Amino acid sequence: MRTASGRRPLSFWLLTAFFVLFVLFLYGPMTAIYILSFQGPTGGLTFPMRGVSLHWFDALFGQQRTGDFAGSLERAILLALVSMAVTLVVSVAAGLAFRQRFKGASAIFYIAIASLVMPGLFVGLGISLVFQVMGVTPRWWLSGLGAHLTWTLPFGLLIMFAVFNRFNRAYEEAAIDLGATRWKTLTAVVLPILAPGLIAVGLFGFTLSYDELARSKLTVGAKNTLPLEIEAMTTSVTTPSLFALGTVTTAVSFLIIGLALGAIVMIQKRRTRRAGEA
Amino acid sequence: MADNDGSGRIEIQNVTKRFGSLLAVDDVSLEIPHGSYCCLLGPSGCGKTTILRMIAGHETPTSGAITIGGQDVGGLPPVRRGTALMFQSYALFPHLTVRDNVAFNLKMRGVAKEERASRADEMLALVHMTPFADRMPAQLSGGQQQRVALARALITNPRVLLLDEPLSALDEFLRLKMRSELKRLQADLGITFIHVTHTQPEAIALADLVVVMNQGIIEQAASARDVYAFPRSPYVARFMAGHNVLHGRLLASVAETHLLEGPTGARYRIPATAGTPRRTGEQVFFSVRRDLIRLTREETGGEAVENALQGTVEAVEYQGTYVKVTLAGASDEEFIVNEPEHAYFTHPVHRGDTVVASWGVEDVHLLEEDRAAGTKAAPYGEEAA
Amino acid sequence: MQRLAPYLQVAPLTLILGVFLVVPVTMIVLVSFWSYDEFDIYPDLILDNYQWILTSPVTWSLYLKTLYYALVTWAITLLIGFTISWYLVFHVKNLIWQIGLFLLCTVPFWTSNVIRMISWIPFLGREGIFNQALMGAGLTGEPLEFLLFSDFAVILAYVHLFTLFMIVPIFNSMARIDPTLIEAAVDGGARPWQVVFEVVLPLCKTGIALGSIFVIALVMGDFVVVRTMSGGQSATVASAMMNEIALLQYPTAAAGATILLVVVTLMVAAILRVVDVRRELAG
Repeated sequence: MRTASGRRPLSFWLLTAFFVLFVLFLYGPMTAIYILSFQGPTGGLTFPMRGVSLHWFDALFGQQRTGDFAGSLERAILLALVSMAVTLVVSVAAGLAFRQRFKGASAIFYIAIASLVMPGLFVGLGISLVFQVMGVTPRWWLSGLGAHLTWTLPFGLLIMFAVFNRFNRAYEEAAIDLGATRWKTLTAVVLPILAPGLIAVGLFGFTLSYDELARSKLTVGAKNTLPLEIEAMTTSVTTPSLFALGTVTTAVSFLIIGLALGAIVMIQKRRTRRAGEA
Repeated sequence: MADNDGSGRIEIQNVTKRFGSLLAVDDVSLEIPHGSYCCLLGPSGCGKTTILRMIAGHETPTSGAITIGGQDVGGLPPVRRGTALMFQSYALFPHLTVRDNVAFNLKMRGVAKEERASRADEMLALVHMTPFADRMPAQLSGGQQQRVALARALITNPRVLLLDEPLSALDEFLRLKMRSELKRLQADLGITFIHVTHTQPEAIALADLVVVMNQGIIEQAASARDVYAFPRSPYVARFMAGHNVLHGRLLASVAETHLLEGPTGARYRIPATAGTPRRTGEQVFFSVRRDLIRLTREETGGEAVENALQGTVEAVEYQGTYVKVTLAGASDEEFIVNEPEHAYFTHPVHRGDTVVASWGVEDVHLLEEDRAAGTKAAPYGEEAA
Repeated sequence: MQRLAPYLQVAPLTLILGVFLVVPVTMIVLVSFWSYDEFDIYPDLILDNYQWILTSPVTWSLYLKTLYYALVTWAITLLIGFTISWYLVFHVKNLIWQIGLFLLCTVPFWTSNVIRMISWIPFLGREGIFNQALMGAGLTGEPLEFLLFSDFAVILAYVHLFTLFMIVPIFNSMARIDPTLIEAAVDGGARPWQVVFEVVLPLCKTGIALGSIFVIALVMGDFVVVRTMSGGQSATVASAMMNEIALLQYPTAAAGATILLVVVTLMVAAILRVVDVRRELAG
């Protein structure tokens, strides 16, 4: 604890050191492979760097041995976008429902929690069995999408719970008092106020789907998504191409995270500025 | 603890506390005798809680020293100071029963389980909470939680009990009840109580020593009667309520009195205090107690009568034993007259009536300047948001 | 109409979870009693699949290995998660910094697990960064072999990937502790370690329980990390199941999955018996 005089105790510095080490542990290896992905053409899987080049990124698109990189990336992004959209709409609707009492509420809640905790392998195996028994071919945009939703929806629901918990219902009542319809109240009052929370739901919806492997494994069918492609490559590819792939996929993730966090910060800033002007 | 005399006498010597650029406590010195009930009184942000927390050891002074029982407690942890703090929010541990909350200190010191329980039960008996020993804090009302917090603080056998706004979370009825219980407890235990509050009736009802604070500075530290009846400065007079604060420019000195001219042209006659020479043109502040002012229903007829102000009745509030009459246009700040009930109802006044308020020279109380800068219009008794 | 609203609003969620979670999991249990040959699976009601699994000595060693991984990972992630949360909640007083550092810890959650896992390979290998550093410093003459493709590598990757699941719930429940409770404990004579064990730990046990459930379920259900990071030398229950699936022995895999599901559920139930997390989740 910080002493009042501003001097910090020894425990603070020890814990700060621990935190820094943890962050290094978290980011260090990732950073290393981003750097290694810019290896020169003669470089290997580890340091030293033999020059700096985009050779291994070229190789991703060019050569046969890296598999269907472009297609799997495209599918992963498409699937993530659809997951995000579905997660948003379904979570908001469910979040609205859970503000009232209704029969079966706790059963549905526990199923959602079970879905969160359920190892992805079971979901994948179960869905693939259902499709097999029904004689339907698994496809990434059907069975794959369903599998991903079992992972993104519980997160969306929990975030909506947190968001609605902090939402003051007086805003809604005021809007209805002022003559707004229920639909207008939702679109013109509730959703704009909840915007930062909705962005968070979208962020989870996209990134969790985009990176999902365990649930995808048995459900995407013949065409791989990117995480599966990467997993396959870990055993077959022994060049820095693998790292280039990691850099590309992480860049996509960081782009999305940056957009989402940036949007949230911007909304909050605009609100405090308006509050300051008022 | 060989280097203290075991008493709860507290000395605060030139203590200053800064939080970044904010000066919370500004070079404060204060002595609190052993076994006294001391109230630190002031609006929020005046530094009273900071002083309490520095005595408790939860904050360290930026400069200056604090001694308890003659021992410099700088750097000592709370438990070695012989102090116990009762938190405003009570800070009861939500995961422990009432008994375990009270016994917390004993458990920390490694006292055996049976002894812990029996001593905790003794403390609970002291605060009349025996039937609730096995409950969880969340199952108690605010008043009950406070009793538990009190028992938990007292089990450490403190020389000094520190209370941070102990009554602010209670409703009016409980507040009065707990107030007298605190006083009884302090008398029984004979230890020093330091009680932080922003409510002046609470302070004057409880304290042997009232310390009125403003902007990190002590405006007055004196007995409850002295602070109430003889406020030192305009700030104290306004904060304690019960007074009308007036001021004027010195016109002339006649015999044992001075004549002042107020901002609205009113003439005030005030006693000349021995030993304080005054210059003509000097600004003089004084106060007159609300209950020492007479209200007359006739107008003055325009001629300037000394120590009489004409005004319009703005509000009338019935207070039981007296009636509070607020006048508009009498002076440049709020002017209130407290008329005894029977006097008022013999000749009632109504909103809009023109009345004259007057007082005698002997009822004038002279004020010194405020110590803190820029405190001109501090509202009394009210907590600034 | 107004009375129907919540049912309509929750319908999409219920439908999706029903079709893609409840039905599939039920299907696993059903298929575990079916029979199969090398071409297809057939509805049946036989116990052969269970008998085969439960009488195989391999099963027991797989479970032993899996539980070992789960336990060690749980202990390490708990220690790290608690310490990091403690630091963020009680030592970082500035709210902006607190949120910023918390985000710094959670951002990797939104990036690819596979990439984060394989990023250890250039670190730990024979020619890896770690061995280069050790040998460069003269601490060891030969590269350390146990770093990669070993239990060490598997647990390291688990800790790397799953500590977040511990930090987030523990941070959440710890941040809700009224700081005056800590002061009250200090005032009541508690030493720093007593503050930890008598006040903070009991008050964030719901967060600890949630994190524990996550980490245990994730490790018990993992088949990717163990295969890659052990270099195929170790197997867990889940990774063995994947092999059966690759051989199209679905009913056996389903029976294995059912047993694993029961084991995980029992572990979760045991945690829930000790700590009631319902309020934490709903709040």
